[in-house]
Amino acid sequence: MRLHEYEALDIFEQNRIPVPRRELVSDMHDALHAAGEIGYPVIIKAQVLVGGRGLAGGIRTASNADELKEAADTLFNSEIKGMPVRKALVCQKVDIATELYLGMTVDGYSGKPVIVVSTEGGVLIEETAKTSPEKIAAIHIEPSFGYYPYQARSLLRMLGLEQKLITPWSEIIGQLYHIATRYEALIAEINPLVVLSNGALMAVDAVLEVDDSALSRIRFPLPDRVDRIENPLERRGREIGVTYVDLDGDIGLISSGAGLGMASMDIIGQKMKPANFLETGGGITADLLYRCMELIMMKPDLRGIFINVYGGINPIHEGAKGVIRYMQEHNVRIPVVAKALGNRQEETWEIFKSGGVHVVTEAATEKAVDVLYKLVGPGGKSGAGRAKTGAKRA
Amino acid sequence: MSILMNDSTRVIVQGITGRIGSAQTHWMLEYGTRVVGGVTPGKGGTTVEGVPVFDSVLEAVKETGANASVFFVPAAFVLDAFLETIDAGVKLIVIVPEHIPVKDVLKMRSYAMEKGVFALGPTTPGILVPGMGKMGIMPASLFAPGRVGIISRSGTLSYEFAGILSETNVGQSTVVGMGADPVVLRNLADILELFENDKDTDAVIVVGEVGGEQEEKAAGFIARKMSKPVAAYIAGRYSPQGKKMGHAGAIVRGSAGTHAGKHEALRAAGVEVLESPIDVAKWAKKHKLK
Repeated sequence: MRLHEYEALDIFEQNRIPVPRRELVSDMHDALHAAGEIGYPVIIKAQVLVGGRGLAGGIRTASNADELKEAADTLFNSEIKGMPVRKALVCQKVDIATELYLGMTVDGYSGKPVIVVSTEGGVLIEETAKTSPEKIAAIHIEPSFGYYPYQARSLLRMLGLEQKLITPWSEIIGQLYHIATRYEALIAEINPLVVLSNGALMAVDAVLEVDDSALSRIRFPLPDRVDRIENPLERRGREIGVTYVDLDGDIGLISSGAGLGMASMDIIGQKMKPANFLETGGGITADLLYRCMELIMMKPDLRGIFINVYGGINPIHEGAKGVIRYMQEHNVRIPVVAKALGNRQEETWEIFKSGGVHVVTEAATEKAVDVLYKLVGPGGKSGAGRAKTGAKRA
Repeated sequence: MSILMNDSTRVIVQGITGRIGSAQTHWMLEYGTRVVGGVTPGKGGTTVEGVPVFDSVLEAVKETGANASVFFVPAAFVLDAFLETIDAGVKLIVIVPEHIPVKDVLKMRSYAMEKGVFALGPTTPGILVPGMGKMGIMPASLFAPGRVGIISRSGTLSYEFAGILSETNVGQSTVVGMGADPVVLRNLADILELFENDKDTDAVIVVGEVGGEQEEKAAGFIARKMSKPVAAYIAGRYSPQGKKMGHAGAIVRGSAGTHAGKHEALRAAGVEVLESPIDVAKWAKKHKLK
């Protein structure tokens, strides 16, 4: 779960990382009041959970009240990459001498946390990695020993930074590591980490992404994660315990695994267009698949439904009961094709067939998608299916 | 004849008394797996599917001679049980559960490496050796004995690829789920090496997906060390951007785990990249695989 910038900045401040003066606002009036307290010039930053917020117009500078009025008015009436702006952060604009990058994440290949720093702050680290990898330095942390301050000193030398930064630099890296550990962060990032004109360091931005699997044991107040999903269908997916991604096609999809779901999307995309991605994971019951049908049918213009499930850990015969119960209760008339293989497959096929589902008993998803294509015919949407992130269109 | 499991593998099931643990014990026994015991603290002395249950892994190992373990333990207790299993001397461990915190996985991986334990997962369907046995949740009906190795990040896609091959009379030597988490207990290249050294495997299929850099890293290993033909499929060509985490661990090396990037790295290593799963049948035919 990714925290908002204002939430992450609060956590940084509580943990003695220097951050700018700031106030969270939800309309233009509050923004003007906040800027009066903080003092101009200020920066107003949209609090939306998307990457590349600055380039999309979500960060604006104002040196007086008129400029702030205009900036706030524009922000609160716009969408940043499809996300409505409900809250913004008004921040003190500080005097910046240099912008650096500091990030921590987990390196999946080595199985170790890694601290990444760069002399190129304020730009995407991915871009720096491509264009000037020599400006990046990284150190891995041994999971059984943890972080030690010499590692910060090594990073300073590796980047060729001035020796006089050594104390604030080591402190900030130590504190960010402490936060990343306590909050079980998969990503903790300060970009940019700025050197102020007086030589001090300050985090003027904050990224904190908490491990979803650790949420239940983190002993610090965290916001409700269902709350922050803007798309109502994706929120509903989270509530019932499945991963749902809203797409802009017209073929509904239910799959029993992430890999199978992605492959199904890719295959459907060859001739038709998926309306959604949905994967159940290992928790299939009759009720769950009933709710999944309900969820995918919330899109009004579906032309067909594709169900792709394996009975390994999942009782697919139970799932089939839920699907046909939904179809009977709601008089579903669009074609439904199911490929269901594995434990208790014959029983599953019988249940599906009794409810009018077209059953495919071969393993290749391509063949089952062909069956659906023949049933729905050409003429619908086609192609990959783009993500729909915004609340408005859903 | 196979990798990881063979006819001297004696399996214990941890979390055997749970709903999933007991159901999967049934399927593993039905497939002929030598499930010799189970562990659930506090339930020692009972039996599940005729298999004796013990309170601790050490007792189970002493009483049954077990040398492998498969986990159906709730995510919150996996780290504890994993350390216990390694300390009891078990050398092959399969972690089926999903949603284990990454911080725990890092500790598990570090300890397993230190103690020379081969562990798979988390979020893995396990291992299946057709006609011999299985540790995990793979549904037996899709597999057939033969000489093709499969390694998959996704459980369901490992069944799909085995199923397509079996329908065209191409069997599998061993099917291995490496796990779908951002950090897994064994890297793809380590499993490829086992297949390269297995005299009963003629070719290997890698079933990957977008995200992370396992496939890119494995490409380097394949180019340097693999003599057997390797084919690969990467799921997620149309996965929308921004719905996946961008991990700086991959980013540092100038690669962000994209579909195109993985294809490119694998092709450069001489891997035959399959555009769609069904193409695996043509590939197997071309190489006259059985």
